[in-house]
Amino acid sequence: MAGPTRERSATLLALTSSALMLPACQGARADAQPETTTLSLGYSKYREDDTRDSKTFGGSSERYDIDVAQFHLLAPVGEDWSLALDVQWEDMSGASPWFVGESASGDPKVIMSGASIEDTRTDISVTTRYYYDRGNAGFNYARSEEDDYESDAIAVDGSFNSADGLTTWSGAVSLSRDDIEPTRGTVPTNTLKDEKDIYSAWVGVSRIVSRRAILRFGLGYTYREGFLTDPYKLRDRRPRQRREWVASTGYRHFFTAPNAALHVDYRYFDDDWGVRSHTVDIAWHQNLGARTQLVPFARFYSQDAADFFANVVDLADRYHVDDYRLSAFGALSAGLRLRQDLGQWTLNVTAERYRSREHYGLYDGEESPALVAWWRGSVGLSYRFR
Amino acid sequence: MRGLEHRFHALGGPCRFRVECDDEPAALAAIASAEAEVARLEARYSRYREDSLTSVINRAAGGGEPVAIDAETAGLFHFAHTLWEQSGGLFDLTSGVLRRAWDFRSGRVPAQRELEGLLPLVGWDRVQWDPESVYLPVPGMELDFGGCGKEYAVDAAAAVLAGHGMNHALVDLAGDMAVTGPRADGSAWQVGIRDPADPQRAAARVELRAGALASSGNYERCIELDGRRYGHILDPRSGWPVAGLVAASVAAPQCLVAGGAATVALLKPRDEGRTWLAELGLPWLTWDRDLHCAGSIAPAHA
Repeated sequence: MAGPTRERSATLLALTSSALMLPACQGARADAQPETTTLSLGYSKYREDDTRDSKTFGGSSERYDIDVAQFHLLAPVGEDWSLALDVQWEDMSGASPWFVGESASGDPKVIMSGASIEDTRTDISVTTRYYYDRGNAGFNYARSEEDDYESDAIAVDGSFNSADGLTTWSGAVSLSRDDIEPTRGTVPTNTLKDEKDIYSAWVGVSRIVSRRAILRFGLGYTYREGFLTDPYKLRDRRPRQRREWVASTGYRHFFTAPNAALHVDYRYFDDDWGVRSHTVDIAWHQNLGARTQLVPFARFYSQDAADFFANVVDLADRYHVDDYRLSAFGALSAGLRLRQDLGQWTLNVTAERYRSREHYGLYDGEESPALVAWWRGSVGLSYRFR
Repeated sequence: MRGLEHRFHALGGPCRFRVECDDEPAALAAIASAEAEVARLEARYSRYREDSLTSVINRAAGGGEPVAIDAETAGLFHFAHTLWEQSGGLFDLTSGVLRRAWDFRSGRVPAQRELEGLLPLVGWDRVQWDPESVYLPVPGMELDFGGCGKEYAVDAAAAVLAGHGMNHALVDLAGDMAVTGPRADGSAWQVGIRDPADPQRAAARVELRAGALASSGNYERCIELDGRRYGHILDPRSGWPVAGLVAASVAAPQCLVAGGAATVALLKPRDEGRTWLAELGLPWLTWDRDLHCAGSIAPAHA
């Protein structure tokens, strides 16, 4: 009987919440733990386009290739709890921009780290969640390991529904401790051993505004402290603190006749490094019968450069960085996702293309020669036990 | 594992409980309590009983004195009010009075003025109620819990069984059902949805592990008029029988919600009824007058 994910109907919530005022109807919880165990396996391939030869000085122009395998298990525990285990393995290979220099003609060109970097990352995350009548609360522990990097993080989150069931408040806090010990090989590193701490908090509210529409708002704050410099980039020196604010909003509208939902999301980011960004996501969730869902989606992203970004940096500046990720640029991405229900199995297939250029964005700045374009494809299969 | 089945008659139809439990005395005690709960609700809300709360409220109509109610009754009013609002006034606890004009046994069609004489007695918005009292302001107005009383009794009986620790039990009150959990072996209860073309046959099977399944039918008693068949479900706004879907089944965590959703689907025109169910997002199955079936629950193969 499971169809594609449907919009939660405000009529249904109104009826359910008024039925729940009767003690005899309270046996069924509004915020129910998952009824069955779900096991999912996924594989993604992420491939960056090679840097165009006109933008590099010798070295390898081949960039990152990442293979990701994912395992997810979600199981009910007792009457009110669930347990989720997520494990992800990433295998990265390729070269990354080492620094940007000036060519004889005055154009900035990127010098790639010579030999191909090989690295693997393992992420493990465990979440326990408690379900109560008007919401749920979770506790999460996550560990991530790479050859040169270790991170431990904990997070607590909770949500609470209003008595009429139409409004949900939610919040989360998390902290992580990361240890960095760069692998010394082909390029000199900016540190031998250091660490950083990340603290973040988030609050949000979502409201069912009509029988077919949901509106949400969120505010977040993140404080980073420690070694925030990229250990492998030659000309990279960043402040040891970063304060980030995020405001986001989203709207979902279900259209009956095409049996589809429109999702529109916007996110504004601002920090004390001078980076500002806007993100707009649009997705159309088209149901095709009860078992198939096709989701074309697109994203526009635009960011301003960090105050201390320059393509060809002045090493005398206290802080300086030539990392394209802190340059002014805009990015466009688009893709298509297919979800197919096959009884107890569900198949998900996604393909996405991303391109970034300085002139795509809203902010003016020097275009980094290292801006990326990539393809991503993923396939996932999940099984629901009965 | 012992499986007990208990059959009895209540609320105008055949009822049964199925309980799977190793402790037979405990199961029997739970069954007795649950049957007593159904009997309590029937005695309290049946309009056929002179001493029911419903009859007391109806007799006090227009008399100037509100009738005191308890929290359970106020809860049912609140649910009925929500359903009235959400259905645009189609679900109305006061519409039962229209049955005075319609005699579905004789097949006589009432004159329009008979209906017009009754319509002033219909209208949930005229009922004065708060969490402690209710008052029907016009003499002759009547409340009728027919649209939600049985469904509530299903939830109440299931709650009593669950309260006795019976977590593998099925309640079936004349086709409206709820379970307290999956069967003892962890499998789902297989329950049938009656085929309106052949009520002896199951048109679809639904697997219930939790929650409820309610069905509404508009095919049992009919009147033929100008070559059209009208069911016994009446539109509270016009007093005329509705001509939409003939049967609807809905699954939901609460039988009260499932039954309310199915009843409103039948009160709406055919396509609107189906749209209403599709938008609720609950599993559903419906039949129209030509016995074409549609819904998110797959019909069984013949």
